[in-house]
Amino acid sequence: MITAGIDMGTQSIKVAILKDNEPMSQELVFSGFEPTRAAEQAFEEALRKAKFSHNEIKHITATGAGAEMAHYSDSTISMVGAVARAGAYSFPSARTVIDIGAEEARAVRCDEKGTLLNFVVNERCAAGAGTFIEAMARALEVNLREMGPLSLKAEKASQINATCVIFGESDVVTLIHRQEPKPEIARAIYDAMAERISSMVYRLGVNPDVMLVGGVAKDVGFVASLERKLGTDVLIPENPEFAGALGAALFAAKRVGESN
Amino acid sequence: MKYFPEIPKKEIDEIRNSIKATSMKVTSENIERMKKTVPNRPKTMTYFDEISEFFGQREHEIRAAKEEGRKVIGYNCMFAPIELILAADAIPVRVNSGWYDASRLGDRIVPVEVCPVIRSMIGAKMVGLSPYLELSDAVINTLTCDGMTKLGEILSDHKPIWTICAPRVKDSPQSMVFWREELKTTKQKIEDLTGNKITGKKLRSAIELLQKATKAFRRLQDIRKGSPVIMGRDAMLVNQTSAWDDIERWTQKTEELCNELEKRVHQKTWACPPDTPRVMVTGTPMVWPDNWKLPNLIEESNPQGVLVIDELCSSDRLLYDPVGVDEWTMDDMFNAVAERYLLTSTCPCFTSKDGNEDRINWLLGKLKGFKIDGVIYYVVRGCMLYAMEYTRIKRILDRKNIPVYYLDTEYTREDVGQMKTRVEAFLEMLKARAET
Repeated sequence: MITAGIDMGTQSIKVAILKDNEPMSQELVFSGFEPTRAAEQAFEEALRKAKFSHNEIKHITATGAGAEMAHYSDSTISMVGAVARAGAYSFPSARTVIDIGAEEARAVRCDEKGTLLNFVVNERCAAGAGTFIEAMARALEVNLREMGPLSLKAEKASQINATCVIFGESDVVTLIHRQEPKPEIARAIYDAMAERISSMVYRLGVNPDVMLVGGVAKDVGFVASLERKLGTDVLIPENPEFAGALGAALFAAKRVGESN
Repeated sequence: MKYFPEIPKKEIDEIRNSIKATSMKVTSENIERMKKTVPNRPKTMTYFDEISEFFGQREHEIRAAKEEGRKVIGYNCMFAPIELILAADAIPVRVNSGWYDASRLGDRIVPVEVCPVIRSMIGAKMVGLSPYLELSDAVINTLTCDGMTKLGEILSDHKPIWTICAPRVKDSPQSMVFWREELKTTKQKIEDLTGNKITGKKLRSAIELLQKATKAFRRLQDIRKGSPVIMGRDAMLVNQTSAWDDIERWTQKTEELCNELEKRVHQKTWACPPDTPRVMVTGTPMVWPDNWKLPNLIEESNPQGVLVIDELCSSDRLLYDPVGVDEWTMDDMFNAVAERYLLTSTCPCFTSKDGNEDRINWLLGKLKGFKIDGVIYYVVRGCMLYAMEYTRIKRILDRKNIPVYYLDTEYTREDVGQMKTRVEAFLEMLKARAET
């Protein structure tokens, strides 16, 4: 049985295709100005890679902020529901899944079957989401990929404000003017963001094992800061940015199972 | 002028007309959405749809009554003693503001950190938007939250404001003594304004009128305890209109609605599938017509939820408690009115020697009585009292294993997308819990 999940994120669109719950292919494209077209593109490409045709797909589930724009989907699921499923699938021991998207961050509690038990979402502000790191890297004039390894070289911690992307940026500029070393500023950026995320997770309760998904999970600097703040290691799956799409595809398989 | 800026009349007229047009559009859109959710919506709802229009029938009625010499007494909080107003043959009308665009006008006088319900009322006054506020000869302003306290001062630039100070501790004997004195002063003001003396006979008939309204109100809420024959939004609208409609007519129409609904219970004609997750909303008041976004989201979501009861001072709290009179003497009646407003209030502005247990017990009672699957705790930015109380309520609900979601928002249309993803996820979770 072949199913597909499509995560219509605010910044990028992710597609995952499964055969009997095993990942066959995945594809990521930027949403751009025409997310519906971008979604079709990602879907075609994922199909091509997996060597499947359209009519072999039994069920497509969409998730993410723009789930409704994927009009060819058969059902939708919320992002928290999707990452709970993906969490238990990747690590059956995961009870807390933290997902950081471009403009929204969320933490969910799930059981071993991936049932959504509880969740929290960040407040109405992008300071706790992926966009924050991107904006700060620009302010610091370093490549996003280099900022993580750079921060690990910091000898001490500085502080910036993470209640707002705009204020955070002006804090970074202040540190630059004070001629603080770049690694320390980079670490301050991750610490500030990890502070926001961990206080959100504390509202839910930190139930081990803790798993981190979303593109930010690939950033070693952020992961180090988050582990320090939470006081625990975090598990990271192989393709953390595809967790939403994977969860949606797993949900699609469940729907097919139910209707049979 | 202590607060209000000078705005050219032309600009005022333009802004007022534009917000008024939006308000009328939103009112009819909300009604269309409610109709679409339940294709066989109860027929009596048509009456409440019409009376819900701020710029319509009820405005004309009050204006006509005023021309015949009746006085209109506005109020912005449910502590205003309606019975005393009615007993002096005046018209009571609630003047809260749910207009989003008006809140942005309020920003010219107070900072954005102030609760938008307050900013919207200030904005409404700036351009003479609210028909009920404009028609009021005086406005009763109860000092409950900080916003309401300062609002009275600001509005006093343009309106006679009658301040009633509510004691912050409800369950002490001196509070009751103080509260009674406050209401005595208010009674005198009502008599002075109207020129009508509040006699025992008149007070008794006003109390009896409201008791009948409470009976109808409770009948409607009791029906909602069972499988849904009415959507929460419809019931919320019915309850909310009681704050500006003619109360006798409202009672009669609500009884008619209940007759219709009881038939539906009998025929098992449900407004949505009986296994739809049952949601309760508590928190900041939600004022018609603009601030209807959360009820719309809950009942139009996929999966769908049904708002079987709320714990808001803008709807399901309004007429729940009757005035209980032992002897129909003037003193006894007056004291009974005073007690009804203070002792039964579940407003978080109170604390008490036992820590506002009243509100908690009341919430827990509703959760059980209405078989609630989950609670959405709704707070607008700047609403300190509800925001601060949340942690405690959440602890209690956690122990009862009832999921609760904290949803913060503003007087804006722009965050509906964000709210939608949260509400959908919450309902999905309630459904998943029900299945396991």
